Amino acid sequence: MKTARPIYEDDNHKWLAIVRDPDRPDYLIDTNEYLVVSNDDAILLDPGGSEVFPAVFSAISTVFDPRRINKVFASHQDPDIISSLSMWLEFNPQVKCYISWLWQSFIPHFGGQGETFIPIPDNGMDIVVGGLRLQAIPAHYLHSSGNFHLYDAKAKILFSGDVGAALLPPGEDGLFVEDFDRHIRHAEAFHRRWMGSDKAKRDWCARVSALEIDMICPQHGSIYRGADVKRFIDWFSRLDVGILKS
Amino acid sequence: MSGHMDISRNPGEAGQELRRIVRINEEIKSVVATAFKINLMAMNAIFLAKRAGQSALGFGVLSNELRRFATDLQQQMTVLRETTYGSVSTVTAQVKQSRVTRLLEKTRSDARGEGRAGIDRLLRSRHEAALTDSSDKISALNRRLSQMIADTTQLVELGSVLARSAKIEAAYGGGFSASLMQVSSDFEDTIGEIQRSLESLTRHQSEEFRA
Repeated sequence: MKTARPIYEDDNHKWLAIVRDPDRPDYLIDTNEYLVVSNDDAILLDPGGSEVFPAVFSAISTVFDPRRINKVFASHQDPDIISSLSMWLEFNPQVKCYISWLWQSFIPHFGGQGETFIPIPDNGMDIVVGGLRLQAIPAHYLHSSGNFHLYDAKAKILFSGDVGAALLPPGEDGLFVEDFDRHIRHAEAFHRRWMGSDKAKRDWCARVSALEIDMICPQHGSIYRGADVKRFIDWFSRLDVGILKS
Repeated sequence: MSGHMDISRNPGEAGQELRRIVRINEEIKSVVATAFKINLMAMNAIFLAKRAGQSALGFGVLSNELRRFATDLQQQMTVLRETTYGSVSTVTAQVKQSRVTRLLEKTRSDARGEGRAGIDRLLRSRHEAALTDSSDKISALNRRLSQMIADTTQLVELGSVLARSAKIEAAYGGGFSASLMQVSSDFEDTIGEIQRSLESLTRHQSEEFRA
């Protein structure tokens, strides 16, 4: 089972990272899910694939009543991001899914009906959760053609989907990045291959540099915090992307 | 007809069931192709009987009946194919349901507090729905399929009788007797092909009840 670890807490406003399942089979890529709680409302970010639903749900249920989750945010359309949607809808048919308008007719192949989806326009939108205003930040072509990240200005946390992701070996998979230079080696090949557009990358770097960010939370690997946030953005801005080999 | 597969409990049997449906469909395709061939053969036989005139009147009537038989057979096979498509849809839905159930059961074993109680309630309601709704769906479809195959077998038996009668009528065909005999033998052989396909179809269909 995964564990739900608090990464931010301020009264009724919390961020939980759902991470690291020791029972996960090797053939499934490891994923991080995040739960943002505000007052009586909660949104689950990149809820994960069907196969990790039991681990994610169980981890959440140790610290939070999952019946209060009535929104999910999908950064993009990949199966490890959102194929568990049908399971969440089994549990609560009222769950709404925020996703790029580009994918709203594709994702129902995983589950859900027309009214399940709230399409996010290309320039982003605000998503209100228990009075807290979150911003869907455009990250198109990083890597998906309809791609969003989610920014919480109050907590100063950016959920960054696949940007910042690292495929970490056992023993180097801590919740937070502790040694940036050592960590980033595990992110490099992933970013070169998966991030398809240099222009999109530069746009994203400019966009997020203007935000106040204490933590960058990717969907795979460790969380960047403090000075590592700027280190990561600088590193990413210099990286050649969209190439098959380094 | 007890002992049918229960895919909702044994999802591994879904693949077996789908492979069985594919085999049935292949036989249906083969029968449809042969029925089309009989239709063309019957049309040629009608022209031949017309040329033979008075001496082949009976053969002409039987050729018309064989043509009607071919059309009925094609229609019957279309309905059979639709029924097997229904079976594929039902199997697919059950596979999906069994996967959801498996994941929910796994979730229940680890979940705590309200989450666990919620999963318990969901599993109970799904179990009740499964008992009243879907557990017999595949069996019902299979019974329908078996009945349709039995009806088709009867229809083909009629075609076989028509072909044999045409062979007898051919003997009275005067100067055209040899040609009419050849055509009626072709009918008999072709209907024999259909009978063999139907025997395979019946065999594949009965596999369900051996599980």
